[in-house]
Formats: sequence, structure tokens, C-alpha cells
Amino acid sequence: MKKKTILIFAIMLFLVFVAWMLRDLFMVRPELQKNPYDYGMTALRKTDTVPSYTELSPLKPVLREITSVAGNQDGKIYIAGKGGVEILDVSGRMLKHFPIRGYATCLTLMPDGTLVIGMEDHVELWSPSGNIISVWQAVDTNSMITSVAATQNLIFVADAGKKIVYQYDRYGKLQARIGEKDPVRKIPGFIIPSPYFDVGISPKGELWVANTGRYRLEKYSMDGSLLTSWGEASMAMEGFAGCCNPSNFTILPDGSFVTSEKGIERVKVYSPDGAFVALVAGPEAFDEGTRGLDLAAGSNGRILVLDPSRNQIRVFVPDKRN
Amino acid sequence: MRHKTVIVFILLILGIFLPSVMGVQRFPKPEFESGYVEPETQFPVPRAEFLAWMDVAVLLLSLSLATFLVLKKRSRLGVFWLSLFSLAYFGFYRQGCVCSIGAIQNVTLALFSGSYTIPLTVLFFFLVPLVFTLLFGRTFCAAVCPFGAFQDLVAVKPMPMGAWLNAFLGMIPYLYLGLALLFAATATDFIICRYDPFVGIFRMNASFGMFLFAGVLLLSGIFIARPYCRFLCPYGVLLNWLSRFSWKHMNITPAECIQCRLCENACPYDAIDFPQTKKDPAGRRKQVNRLILLALLLPLLVLGGAWTGGLIHSTLSGVNSKVRLARLLQTASVSKDQPEPPEITAFRSSGIAQQQLMAEVATIEHDFLTGSRIFGGFIGLVFGMTLIGLVRTPYRTDYVPNRGTCFSCAKCMDYCPVIKS
Repeated sequence: MKKKTILIFAIMLFLVFVAWMLRDLFMVRPELQKNPYDYGMTALRKTDTVPSYTELSPLKPVLREITSVAGNQDGKIYIAGKGGVEILDVSGRMLKHFPIRGYATCLTLMPDGTLVIGMEDHVELWSPSGNIISVWQAVDTNSMITSVAATQNLIFVADAGKKIVYQYDRYGKLQARIGEKDPVRKIPGFIIPSPYFDVGISPKGELWVANTGRYRLEKYSMDGSLLTSWGEASMAMEGFAGCCNPSNFTILPDGSFVTSEKGIERVKVYSPDGAFVALVAGPEAFDEGTRGLDLAAGSNGRILVLDPSRNQIRVFVPDKRN
Repeated sequence: MRHKTVIVFILLILGIFLPSVMGVQRFPKPEFESGYVEPETQFPVPRAEFLAWMDVAVLLLSLSLATFLVLKKRSRLGVFWLSLFSLAYFGFYRQGCVCSIGAIQNVTLALFSGSYTIPLTVLFFFLVPLVFTLLFGRTFCAAVCPFGAFQDLVAVKPMPMGAWLNAFLGMIPYLYLGLALLFAATATDFIICRYDPFVGIFRMNASFGMFLFAGVLLLSGIFIARPYCRFLCPYGVLLNWLSRFSWKHMNITPAECIQCRLCENACPYDAIDFPQTKKDPAGRRKQVNRLILLALLLPLLVLGGAWTGGLIHSTLSGVNSKVRLARLLQTASVSKDQPEPPEITAFRSSGIAQQQLMAEVATIEHDFLTGSRIFGGFIGLVFGMTLIGLVRTPYRTDYVPNRGTCFSCAKCMDYCPVIKS
């Protein structure tokens, strides 16, 4: 009896194999409306980390196709985009609007208030009142200027096309090329797979560059030596995920970093030594597929996030409960 | 000795995992400097021709050695070691390809498609075991087929199955062969390769489902010796037919059978025919009547099978990718509010006119109608012949291997006490 049971069991197993073959051959059909090659991000966009910032009402500029934002400590907000620059006060009221010719990809403020505007392949300097000061020559035919940063006398231009940071004096004279691969000086070079390549100047006057393909921020001396770096590739909240991140960053007055990512849209705060501090806004705060979340430090600890998908400046303040 | 075995086992395990340890770190990504030229897609180079011919030579040598070990030396141990070699060479080294079983499809496609040319080495893999079987029985199954060797290793507690169960399950290979020929002839799919449970194990790259079901098959193989060979293998059908007419087939006893009955339960594959010496005139008449009835029924079974085949041809043709695409196009044109399936997007971007596809599909459907009728008729014939085989009890005096189902594995020989003088 026992043998018979075992035999029946074995035959059933064999018939299960045959039935599976027949089912797979004749009955299993791919679902019509489902793309089998679709890279589902739904699960990856879910996070357990609670944001430590609260969002205020967004600022809605008149300018369309906004690309970059900058702020200063007196509360003024500078926005650039297609065909113009807009200056708002802290409440979002427009103070000034002036047209520019072409497409501004980035902007920054010099300590004296001069606006440095990156225009895809060249740089323009404008006064806050809307008068053009100078137009520099195109950097290179393959250039894709994605970020500018400035000190009192120097202007740094990040070129995603050439994967290099140029150092200019304020008159547009090239002083140095920073970040070129140099094994002797132990500079690994920038890996920039997509047109997001940000630079920033810390309150101490240090140059920081987002090496997105290596998922880290790198600090360079003014002569182009690599001093230090932080950041790691990780799906965890502490790291940077996707093909190349952080896409943008800004440095707060206390030396902390605010970073933004594309793919899984996140805005986070890191300490000056690169330790994760807080989540400002998670993926649920943004439209899926939003990229180019430019950042600026506003007055009173506010973080300004340029949302190109909604054409708004999103304003986040530290949550008092935290 | 035991320590050595443990060390060898550990080294083997380490060897398996070594490639993943040596794997290249994913991050950071490769650097793409300006001016980088995307390399052209590389395709794996086909196996060198002399190596393909070496495989044929190994096949010939293995078959010759297997035949020698079974028919001349009567050595089960020799057959066992040769089967382990075949498992290592044709299984794990050659990763189960080319195999004689799958070659059925290549030969069929070459016969029906003008654009497909079969490599000579593949043709040899198909023909050589058939020729050997016609001459010496299924020595290929005994020691050369890696699938058989694999299953032999897990058959630790084989159980005898009744004649009716063997006959019922034994019809599945005919169905499988019929479907494989139909799909190969219509250039639809190579289903023998697609549902090969062992190749995924040899290559360690099967899908989870395939691994799972290969495990299920091997689990059943603990109690049903060689379930794939006996109840699935389509090549086994051809070998079975040819082996029945083999010139020199192995025998259980090297001389005259002494009716000791020691070999009665020796065959794990139920491939020993027992003596039938009773002469019962009344029973004989009854048997003859049944045979006449079945012989009259046979044409009806063939016609019924052909008719049924015609009815299910649409289901069978649904496996063809072009037919499926055409049906998808028709469904999509009805439900326009649904998002377009990626198959249709790919078809539309190919620039091929829908009329051209439909014309091709009409030809394929017609081929399937003809093929399905032949397939159905064939299954009807097999069913009828199986019934006839169960009814007829041929007169025999000795324990003999069933020439059709015997794998010539030589397991029964060890049970025979007769020594050739």
C-alpha cells in the first residue's frame, strides 16, 4: 500500500511537469497592456523616512521653462529660464523681470550682486538692474554649461559636455581647467553620463563639484587639486541612486549640503562632512520623472527647490517638531 | 580517503563560486571620454568546426564503446562509467547541445524550410544513434545520452509499474514528437529545446520555473526510473521503432535461459517481457476477436484523430509568433481605448505592411490545418496500436528484453547466473 502511494505520488509529480509544459505552451500569453520591459519605479519611490521639513506655499514665477534659482540672505530670489530672468522678494512678489536672448541653463550671484548666467555654451554677466555687463565667448563647440559658481574674483563654469570645470577671472579670462583626469595628481576625472553637473562655493570659499557618475561631491583647491570627497552609491536614503546623482546641490551658510536627485526624486540635507542629516522632500512630493531640481539657500533657513515640472519654486522650512 | 573526498568537494564548491567573487565591481561606471565610439555588438563566435567534428568523433567512439560493453563484455560497471563520461562531456562540457533529441527539429525544419540549412555535424548527431540502434539496440540510451545518465543517478528507489500504466504514459512521447515535428515544420518553435529540463541545469541558467519543474521531474525520477526517457523523450520513439528491428540486440542471459526468475524484477524500466507459455484455446479465441475488433477500429481512430486535429489547429497555430501577432493586431483594433501592446508598437515601427503579415499568417494557418490533421491521425494510430499491443500476448518461453523499450543498460545481466561456456 505504501509503495503504491509513493508510485502514485511520483506519477502525479511527472504529470505536473507535463501539465506545466502544456500550460506554458498553449495557455500562457503575455498580458496585453503590460510592457514586460517597463522599469517599474513604484516600489523604489516608497520611503519610510519622514521628511524633516515642511513645505510652504510655492512661488509661481511668470517666466516659463525655468531652469535655475539663486537666493541671497536678504531674501531676494533670482530665477532664470527661457528668455528671461526674474527677481522675487521673499513673499514671491515680483521685483524685477528682464529679458535675455536665449536659454539660461544656470545662474549664480557674485558677492557684489552681479548675476552670472550660463547660456548653454557661453556665459553672460548681468547687473541686478537688468543691464548686460559682458558676454563671453563660447567655451567650446561641444560645451553644455550646466552650472556656475562665483567668488569675489573667480567664476567657475561646469561644462557637462566636456566634463570639466573651467576657472575664469571676472573678465572672462580662462585661469585653469579643474577636474581633468590626471593619474599623477590622483584626479580620477568626472563621469557625467547625463547633463546634470553642478558646482558650488562653500561659505569658506571652497570649490565643490558633483561627480555624478561616481555618486559623490568632490572638493577641489583653486589650483585644481582634489582635496576630499564624500558620497556613495546606494538605494538607501543615505546614498545616491540611479545612473548619476546628485543632479544638483547647494551649500547652506553653516557649510551643510542640500542635494537633489533625479530618478527617485529626493531632496536631502547632509552635514559639512557628508553625513546624512534629514530628508527635505521625498519622491511623493514631486511629479514622477521630474529632473533638474535646482536648489538655493533662502533666508531664515529656507530651502528653495526649483520644480521644472510644475514651473514653481517650492519652499521648504525646517519642521519645528523636529 | 574520506578526507580527500571532502577536500575535493570543498574545492568543487569553491570553484563554482569563484567566478562571482572575481566579478567586476559594478561601480563606478566605465568612463566615457569625449570622442568615445560605441563598440559594435559582439556575437558569440560559433564553435570551431574541428571541435564540432570532434564531438561527432566522441559520439561515434562512445557509441562503439557502449555497444562493445553491452554486447561483448556484458559489463554493467563499464556502462555506468561510460554514462558518467557522457554526462560530463555531452552534458556539462557541451552543455547539452547539440543533442540527438533536439536534432529532430533541425532535420524537420531543414526538410520543410528552403531557407534553413542543417549543419552536417547536427545531421550526424541525429543519424548516428539511429543507425547504431538499428544494428545493436538502444546502446545510445544506455551510456551515451547525458539525459539518461543524469536520471540514472537519481533513480535510487525505482518501482515497477503495470503494463497499462506504462502503455498510457508511454503515449506521451508520441504526442510530444508529433507536436515537436509540427512546430518545427512550420518554423514555429523548437519545443524540445524549450522544455528541455536538463540543459538549464547543465548551463546553470534556467529560469526559476524551469529549475523548479526539472526538480519535480527528477524527484519523480527517484521512484520512476528515467521518467523523461520513458514517458517524454521524442527521440526515444524513433529509437524504440528501430530497436524492434535491430540486427543484434542484447540478451539477459548469455546462453540458454534456465528460468531461475532472478532477473524478473531486475529492470527498473519494466522492459523485460515475461514468458507466456500457457495455451488456452478459449482465451485465445477471445483475444483474436478483440484483435479483429481493434483492427477494424484502427482506421476510425485515425480518421477521428485527423478530424480532432483539424478542430484544434487554431489552438496549435496560436503558438506561432506571427499568428499571435496577427491576432493581437485584430484584438487591438477592436479595443482602441487600451494602451497599445509593445509587440504591436514594434511591428508598426518595422515598416512591414499589415496585409503582408496577414498573407503570411494565412499560409501558416493553412499549414497548421494540414499538419494538425496529420498529427491527429498519427495520435489516433498510436492509440490504436497501443491498445493492440496490450491485447496481444505473444507466445515466448524465456525472459527477454523488450526490444522496443529496453535501454540496453545491462542492469539485468548482473542478475543472470548463467555463464557462457
